[in-house]
Amino acid sequence: MGNLLALLQRFHVLLLFLVLQVFSMIVLFSENNFHRKEFIRHSSDFAGYIYEKRDEFTSYLRLAEINDQLAIENAALRSLLPENYLSSDTATFKAQGVRQQYTYTPAKVVNATVSRKRNYLTLNKGYSEGISIEMGVIANGSIVGIVSSVSKNYSIVMPVLHTKFQGSVKMKGTGEFGILEWPGGDPLFAFVKEIPKHVYVNVGDTVVTTGFSSHFPEGMLIGSVEALEDKPEENFHRIKVKLATDYRKVAWVQVVKNLQKMEIDSLQQQQISADGGLE
Amino acid sequence: MMNYLRIFLFVLVQALVVSRIQLFDGLVLPFIYIFSLLMFPFDTPRWLLLLIGFFTGILMDLFTGPPGLHTSACLLLTFLQPLVQNMLAPREGYDSNLKPTIYKMGLAWYTTYAGILTFAHHTWLIFFEFLRWDKFFFQLFHILLSSIATLLLMILAQLLISPNKKSS
Repeated sequence: MGNLLALLQRFHVLLLFLVLQVFSMIVLFSENNFHRKEFIRHSSDFAGYIYEKRDEFTSYLRLAEINDQLAIENAALRSLLPENYLSSDTATFKAQGVRQQYTYTPAKVVNATVSRKRNYLTLNKGYSEGISIEMGVIANGSIVGIVSSVSKNYSIVMPVLHTKFQGSVKMKGTGEFGILEWPGGDPLFAFVKEIPKHVYVNVGDTVVTTGFSSHFPEGMLIGSVEALEDKPEENFHRIKVKLATDYRKVAWVQVVKNLQKMEIDSLQQQQISADGGLE
Repeated sequence: MMNYLRIFLFVLVQALVVSRIQLFDGLVLPFIYIFSLLMFPFDTPRWLLLLIGFFTGILMDLFTGPPGLHTSACLLLTFLQPLVQNMLAPREGYDSNLKPTIYKMGLAWYTTYAGILTFAHHTWLIFFEFLRWDKFFFQLFHILLSSIATLLLMILAQLLISPNKKSS
């Protein structure tokens, strides 16, 4: 016993170092740990508040640029007004039969990183404004990311620029489906995978959302094909896509709420449990 | 007391200002917040220094995810710090309550001391953030350039905080 105490006495610094190091490694590497999620939830409230204070100062410096973005979007929206369209019987028919699926909540980006491996955006709205996790986030009609955690007044968005991000996308021309991924590195480019090589893909083709994932409406802009970086041993294209969203400049976003999501999800869940689970 | 206040000050400076510096698409990203840890006096008990590093890391993790990353790197830093100090100690040892500053120890000593520790901290941090080797040279550049940037900022901060009293 005396020896043990003497040993502890001698190595207490190393021991303390190892215990704390193991603790932080567990937090770092366990993705679905409860404490980790709580930490992120509380820290986003705290850090979000401070980031918002900073943004109150720095946003003045970018007002001209933000004005431009808003003016462009205003013009695009104005062109969608009903008086811009010829009225006809089919238009009235459509208006009656229509059910609204998506609503949008504007939010301000108070912090964003682009240079890391796992980047995040902080928005100045949280669950008190109706934001919840898994909602899509868009800016100027192109996708930004998906809400990954919310606190009372702030939310954290996992953008496309995150190595765990996966989105289902399609080529606008052919309608072929693929998976959008970001391998890290350049914040301007991502890759589309799982489109077979027999499908023709041209440089400059537009890539849009499918609407399958229920995060985003169908046909939201993702970007355009920059280059094909196929490898001969693979059966699928490796399509380099120039992202439409410039994450270094994004200032205002809209959070997409899917009003039918609950219904769709519960229906799918019903079917899956009726079949006895996913194969 | 000032030592502890400086931790908060530099974490804020890191989160609000320095982390926004993204030179060459993030190739150069200094982590100046470790400056406050390197300023602790030579006779700080090692266990206390470890705990200070632990909480500084948690504070930094509050601002930038993923949680645990800065905590782990700061623990390594505060574990190595006394070892590096012993390695570089003058023959008669350090005076009690002395701080590792340029003013007291000289520019060459400080550059070696801060350089070794900054490089260790950045290597650990960037390795555990990326966890892959296929972009080895990019990462090596990233670590080297970021360490140099941090070191320059730290020397600048030293000169600002404790101006050379000999000249006045």
